[in-house]
Amino acid sequence: MKRGDAFSVKKLPAQLRESLPAVYVDDWLVSIKYFVDEEESHLKIQEDELCARCEDKPCLYFCPVNVYTLGSDGRIQVAYQACVECGSCRVGCPYDNIEWKLPRGGYGVAYKFG
Amino acid sequence: MNKHIGFDAIVVGAGLAGSAAALVMAREGLNVALVERGQKPGSKNYFGGAIYTHAIAEVLPDFMERKPKFERPVTEAGFWFLAEDGLTKMVTQGGKLNAEPADAYTALRADFDLWWAAQAQAAGALLIPKTTVVDFIRAAGGAVVGVMTDRPEGEIYAPVVIISEGVNNLLTQKLGLIDHDLEPAHQALAFKQVISLPAKEINARFGLPDANHGVAASVLGDVSLGLPGMGFIYTNKKTISVGLGVMLDTLAEYQLRPYEVLQRYLEHPAIAPLVAGGQLLEYGGHLIPEGGWHDMPQLYTDGAMVVGDAATMVNALHWEGTNMAIISGKLAAETALEAHQQSDFSVRTLAGYEARLKEGFILKDMKQYRRFSRFLETHPEFMGTYPAFLNDALGGFFSAYGKPKRQLFTEIYQSLTGRRSLFQAAGDMLSMGRAVLGW
Repeated sequence: MKRGDAFSVKKLPAQLRESLPAVYVDDWLVSIKYFVDEEESHLKIQEDELCARCEDKPCLYFCPVNVYTLGSDGRIQVAYQACVECGSCRVGCPYDNIEWKLPRGGYGVAYKFG
Repeated sequence: MNKHIGFDAIVVGAGLAGSAAALVMAREGLNVALVERGQKPGSKNYFGGAIYTHAIAEVLPDFMERKPKFERPVTEAGFWFLAEDGLTKMVTQGGKLNAEPADAYTALRADFDLWWAAQAQAAGALLIPKTTVVDFIRAAGGAVVGVMTDRPEGEIYAPVVIISEGVNNLLTQKLGLIDHDLEPAHQALAFKQVISLPAKEINARFGLPDANHGVAASVLGDVSLGLPGMGFIYTNKKTISVGLGVMLDTLAEYQLRPYEVLQRYLEHPAIAPLVAGGQLLEYGGHLIPEGGWHDMPQLYTDGAMVVGDAATMVNALHWEGTNMAIISGKLAAETALEAHQQSDFSVRTLAGYEARLKEGFILKDMKQYRRFSRFLETHPEFMGTYPAFLNDALGGFFSAYGKPKRQLFTEIYQSLTGRRSLFQAAGDMLSMGRAVLGW
């Protein structure tokens, strides 16, 4: 199912946009415990081509742990090691372009508090 | 793992719903496999949040003797309406909330779910952790007769499978019980910080006499920048859980980074003093299926039933979900027990699961609130305009301006009509009535 028209970018009033503090999220991520699967990523971009065509690239924003970043080559980089398996990108990618699997048993996020 | 390993029932996921189901079936003598993909039960689970004792008691009447991993009883609950630079609270404390045991306890899921799964294990269920279920084993006619895991030769057989996989409903879709992913517009992405503070400090900041009292608050307004979403604060023993949920499509449309929205909330002048000096113990995020009634999958098929978040059993306004998960797990388990008695695991018997849900509060509430998720989408005023107005109005009411009161009331009236006409406001209230009361 293609969801290319699932949403359109809306402008946040400048005052609200400016009220958002910059956060270096890596400082927060060190608080999360992971068992990283070094052999296999459970997240894969299926076609880089589709990402290139995706105007808004919402994954760069809504991912709560900043898994998706734009590389210097213009391609989306996937830091699956930081994934908390929330599933936002699975349903939020406008082109359904992320192959999203659960990590292999025992791997991935292991919340200490939850 | 032995290829022909067989059980009377398999439960996929040791969360609140799954462990409840495993407990109820194992207690009645069924041979139950409780398959969990995390390192241990609770590793993958995440919420605000509070656990409701009415649901625990239905599964485990003597739960208090088993030392449940609760944090604090919720002795104060309410709404906090956040304006840009102010806060208006509508809270209740004591009274009903002083019951023993309390109606709700705050909790941290890594602790609570481990304890909850241990109760199922004590009843005889076999916990199989670090194991991800990737598919089903189907009989020739399509009936579910087991699951395939990611372990080598990891097939597990049972005539009935209870799917408590959570919000990412991959298995439910695989069975064709729902034919699509849940829409971003119907899911809230919730994210929070667990912040460490000494218990004495928490008591002082929240006005609590001791650690046997606790606060649960729904925070509306500036917390989500006036966009569709809701914040929360829960006091735990030596930590506080502070976070919010924002509809996923809203985050995408306005290009919002969750951690920036959360940091802004933590820096709000009314919130900052509550968390000041605290240490971040854990950040995280999780989706909440808020689509409700209209997003529910078919709840059963030959050999399988769906419970909890996988079945979108959430009442967003009341922060209910954990209780529905537990009760739905119990009801699915009772249906599985009946299926074993009848030796019939087809939809003929498993339809009893839906019938049981209809008898109780779950499907009644789901139906009554069926318009609620759409209501939030179409009425952002309740996140923006009204919380700001309430702060203006009460702030004005309790200020001595040295002006005639008639002028003050005119100003309050104008601070509403400047935002929303009376006609619109009346329409908003009517819509809310419809959304909540299910007219």
